Amino acid sequence: MAERKKHSARTPLLEWVAAGIGLSLLLGLLGVIGWEALRGGPSQPPAIEVAVSRIAASGAGFVVEFEARNRAGSAAQSVEIEGVLSGGGPPETRSISFDYIPGHSRRGGGLFFSRDPRQGRLELRAHGFQTP
Amino acid sequence: MAIEVSVRRLPPGTNGAYAQGLARAFAGALIFALPLLMTMEMWWLGFHIVPGRLFLFVAVNFAILVGLSRFGGFEPTMTIGEDVLDALAAYGVGIVSAGVILSLFGVLHWGMPLDEWAGKIAIQSIPGSFGAMLARKQLGSGESEKEERHALRSQGHAAELFLMLVGGLFLAFNVAPTEELMVISYTMAPGHALALIAASLLLLHALVYSVGFAGQHDPHKRGILASFLIYTIPGYGIALLVSLYVLWTFGRADGTDLAGISSAAIVLGLPASIGAAIARLVV
Repeated sequence: MAERKKHSARTPLLEWVAAGIGLSLLLGLLGVIGWEALRGGPSQPPAIEVAVSRIAASGAGFVVEFEARNRAGSAAQSVEIEGVLSGGGPPETRSISFDYIPGHSRRGGGLFFSRDPRQGRLELRAHGFQTP
Repeated sequence: MAIEVSVRRLPPGTNGAYAQGLARAFAGALIFALPLLMTMEMWWLGFHIVPGRLFLFVAVNFAILVGLSRFGGFEPTMTIGEDVLDALAAYGVGIVSAGVILSLFGVLHWGMPLDEWAGKIAIQSIPGSFGAMLARKQLGSGESEKEERHALRSQGHAAELFLMLVGGLFLAFNVAPTEELMVISYTMAPGHALALIAASLLLLHALVYSVGFAGQHDPHKRGILASFLIYTIPGYGIALLVSLYVLWTFGRADGTDLAGISSAAIVLGLPASIGAAIARLVV
């Protein structure tokens, strides 16, 4: 006992500080993950919205920059986004796929068109995804 | 050994000595965590892992860190309370180093939701916290009297099996996130799987007795068959269980039939066996 007492008296202040920081970080992580687990986030399917953020001239054509936003809690893998530009000639179809769009997250991308999308009708939508 | 001589010994039990231990812990965390910090499947796991399973894994990892501290953490300990303090500090080191490195890589940024931050850091802090806990044994030395206690403590059968579990878990965790694991298990024919089991057992047995346990288990004293039954068979069992647990945690077992899960566990069982066998060297 005497040995133990002597030893705990020697526990340096820094050890308490380091353990305290560790404890608060660990509890913080467990809190966020535990909340996510209780909320049952991934049970709602991914809900992906695509919105144009900017249209600009690029090289010989035009680029449409967009943001794909997953409003649900679960992640979507291999998300296929398609843009169709119609009006003023044959419709132009462009597509791009994202590796992942995590829940409640945004990913940006761009599609190239030869005509100015501001002159025609542009439709952007998500086609599908894989469950990770 | 040459390093030990040149390291300046600070008086034990002081803030200075503890700071030195912490610095070693950060070094250990980086060595163990960097390969996974630079693996993209690990970044993705941070947001598509089932939160409940991640929560459980973080808790299990904490219990393992307390156990590891008993057998040689980054600071010599006497009481279980000290082991808890050291495990918390090691986890803190793992979390801080994972957070800093992932931010430097741009994998973590402000546009991300909080749960993605938490998921990515939680999963990546696990190898780092292992490294932090083992750093003392690997990168430095401490008071010899306490170290003898550690050595004594880690000699029982249960302690050996615990160390095998830790080693197996660490290696399985390192290999399981990548797609290659599943590709290998699809490619293998049943004959390959059986051969892989035999190879895992053989390697485990050979490593434990010729390299790993450094003369503690003399096969001639106990008999090769007896030691095979006492250490190698349970060791492989532990390796398989650990593999199944890691597969389940990472969601690799979901929607897979029994045959698919078995062959994935056998593939993961090879690194897990090797981890189990050499754990004694590292810890």
